[in-house]
Amino acid sequence: MLFHVNLALREKTAERIMRLTLFCCLAALPMLWHGEYALGLLTLMAVYAVLLMGLDATVGYLGQINLAQAALFGLGAYGTALAIQAEVPLPLALLVGIAAALIPGAALALPALRLEGPQFALSTLSFATLSVIFLNESESVTNGALGLSIVRPSLFNIVLDSTRFYWLCLTVLFVTWWASQLLLRSRFGLAIEALRDSPTATDALGIGTLRHKALAFAWGSALAGLAGALHAINFGYLQPAAFGYDLMVILLLGVVFGGRRNQWGAFAGAAVVTMLPNLLSNRTLFSSLVTLGCLLAIAPPIRTLLSRKIPSFSQTAPVAAMAAALALALFASNVEEWRKGIFALFLFAAVVGLPDGITGAATTILRKLIRFAPDPLPVATGGIQTAKSSAGLALHASKIRKSFGGVKAVDNVTLEIMKGETHGLIGPNGSGKTTLVNLISGLYKPDSGSVEIFGVRPKPGSLMSAFSAGSARTFQNLQPFSGLTALGSIMVCQRDGGISEAMGWLHAVGLQEKARLRCSEMSYGDLRFLEIARALATRPYVLMLDEPAAGMSKPDIIRLVDLVTSIKRAGITILLIEHHQDVIAVLCDRVSVMDGGQLIALGTPDQVRRNPKVIEAYLGSDETATQAKSEMRAQPC
Amino acid sequence: MNADFLALAQMAVGGGLMGMAYALMAYGFQLTYTAGKSVNFGQGELVMLGAFIGLSLTGIGLPYWAAVPGAMVAGAALGWFVERAAVRLALQQRNEGWILLTIIVGLFGVSAAENIWGRDDKPFPVPWPEGALEFFGISVTWPELVIAAGALGMMALVELAKRYTMLGIAVQAVSADPDSAELCGIRSKSAISLSWAVSGAAAAFAGTIIAPVTTVGPTMAAALTLKAFSVAVVAGLDSGFGLVLAGIALGSAENLSGFLLGSGWREAPGLILLILALALRPQGIFGKKIIRKV
Repeated sequence: MLFHVNLALREKTAERIMRLTLFCCLAALPMLWHGEYALGLLTLMAVYAVLLMGLDATVGYLGQINLAQAALFGLGAYGTALAIQAEVPLPLALLVGIAAALIPGAALALPALRLEGPQFALSTLSFATLSVIFLNESESVTNGALGLSIVRPSLFNIVLDSTRFYWLCLTVLFVTWWASQLLLRSRFGLAIEALRDSPTATDALGIGTLRHKALAFAWGSALAGLAGALHAINFGYLQPAAFGYDLMVILLLGVVFGGRRNQWGAFAGAAVVTMLPNLLSNRTLFSSLVTLGCLLAIAPPIRTLLSRKIPSFSQTAPVAAMAAALALALFASNVEEWRKGIFALFLFAAVVGLPDGITGAATTILRKLIRFAPDPLPVATGGIQTAKSSAGLALHASKIRKSFGGVKAVDNVTLEIMKGETHGLIGPNGSGKTTLVNLISGLYKPDSGSVEIFGVRPKPGSLMSAFSAGSARTFQNLQPFSGLTALGSIMVCQRDGGISEAMGWLHAVGLQEKARLRCSEMSYGDLRFLEIARALATRPYVLMLDEPAAGMSKPDIIRLVDLVTSIKRAGITILLIEHHQDVIAVLCDRVSVMDGGQLIALGTPDQVRRNPKVIEAYLGSDETATQAKSEMRAQPC
Repeated sequence: MNADFLALAQMAVGGGLMGMAYALMAYGFQLTYTAGKSVNFGQGELVMLGAFIGLSLTGIGLPYWAAVPGAMVAGAALGWFVERAAVRLALQQRNEGWILLTIIVGLFGVSAAENIWGRDDKPFPVPWPEGALEFFGISVTWPELVIAAGALGMMALVELAKRYTMLGIAVQAVSADPDSAELCGIRSKSAISLSWAVSGAAAAFAGTIIAPVTTVGPTMAAALTLKAFSVAVVAGLDSGFGLVLAGIALGSAENLSGFLLGSGWREAPGLILLILALALRPQGIFGKKIIRKV
């Protein structure tokens, strides 16, 4: 960019000012200029914006394709319409609408939320189809395909003419917007973003994957019901077919085109889907807009070509889609007949070319033009404190077995770790170390045997239950919350304490300078340290580190040894899986050795190192043992 | 045998034969799911387009036996196009965008069909004899028999090709691990494209054998996709011939519920079955449970 403006404002404040200005303008519109049709469109836009904010909770924040929102919207609308027919007062009828969407939504959530990706999309799609069948076939209640008519009620004896009803919808939108932002930017929102990246880690760190998914889905369903309620009052006539697949596609277009994970995006999307049918009826306006879209789509690939590179698929595909839309705008005999096709082309261009939607693109440009004042980094407090450890057993795994098919991954292993002890777990690759940690931390359910953590027996196969008993773990294959910042990753794991405590944990692992960096931008070594900080922030009694030094550089390993030493001093019991023998030797009080799923040795690092069975496991048969022994001593790490 | 029972049996058999076509579509899901962990949410649209293309080919004077392969070639091209345009990029980025994109491409297909062939349902002429065969008092029409034979034959053919040709084995290698397959000199992307093309051809073939029974129209697509999904999910997205059993069961169930509860409820059992299967056993009755690795 050639120039930019420096603003003393923080981005958050600037956004708040923009939002207030927007609402003042929207509220003033009917007073400046009268027009029933335009007012109807504005009302519809407000209703859609509420609906899309709900859809954004699942499609955006949860990252799952939810195809039930249109049906939930319909159920809400029918609920309110039937309540109004029964002469229930308006505020109560709105609540009925919310409930009519929320209750079936919750019933759907129970099976759907255990699913991911295509299975989630499918279960929502079948729910949606079932709902429309239900509305169509329950003729005695809903009047079936003939439709249901209602008379617009008054609100506390105030007659709701179109202007007043518009203001009511605008107020609802304002409150929804504010509440969505509050909810989704809180720890709750962080948790949803975290579980999108790694549901295993959110469970292992006690954040609770299912709980947060269910809440996000419930919030989305409630907003669908609320929007449906307003829609019923606005139109006064409902038909089941209006809430089918076509509406769903339009809603998805709105969220994706507007921009996901952003209330502004939902608003922009609502504006687009409200205006689009009107655009299609005016041919000149439509063709000129499509031409503009074509030019916008063609700019990035041309820039790439000018720098003598080949444009990527995500640059060329939108051009093809927009060109097809332009061809339709120019040559089709009736553009409105091609409505679905044109929606599809726009949606395709948006999904491929604008993954963050129009608001995402606008934000990027604004951030280049305007420099906002950065959010200040908080002062670090807390961190790892030294404490005395008590005596007794911290972790007791007794005779646990686990086999996968014919492979006995863990075979009758008993492990006893004392409170405050740092216990090493070593063994060749494939000896069952990670499986053992997975069994203790509750990722897998043991075939037999039991685990006890600080005297508590967690539910077998439940990460959350093992966490509640006082354990926390890191992962051999990193499980970062890629969408969150380093600071956010800690915040979401903390049970208590605020932002400065979170900084304290980052300080403890030496990442305080990178607090505002996104995990997706951090280096491998930093992410390993961040995982440890994440686990520490949950204040565990037992910390399980699965190959923390794997792939680390030498200076990082030294940092790691210092860190684990300080964790040890804090009285936290540690189970450490590691291949680096020098790390084990420095840190561990005792070491267990596994081979072929069985425990083959237990003792101090020095004892274990001399154990012939261990040498055999690592280096093979007896003949080479003496030679191997000297080699192992000579080995630096 | 009393008349009521016979009527029910007639319904069940007719539905079961139709269910074979759902099994064939579901088999198309399996092909792409095992190869690239993705499925076409617009599979029903491919079936519809295949049927329409077949209809147009017979319309220009081609005999049925030439129109069917023609439709299959077009279906293969469409399947390949869906993979290239809607699936490849999203899978590379490891996100769920492909679900949305396949829905979008399907939607465009519906719109194109509406404008090219019109919104009305059309009959699909076939050279089979008019009458029906009768087994134990249950009559079966020739087009229904063709559905069963065609679907089973097609599945068997592809399955044999998968097991006994080098190309098929290469595709299986990609299913197991695309990166390792690349290291062995197999082009993973081409293998995935191939499985999408075969899936598209199977869908188009399904269209040409269903259409003589149901007629062909743009609205047939959406319901078919969901039915095929029900079958695929109940049987398991990565397991072989459980599909046929699930297909027959679903076809019979929907005919019976349409008969007993009213035609509006025809689709309900499939949908309820789908939700229940997803809730209770997402890996399918015949599928294997996936182990999370960390």
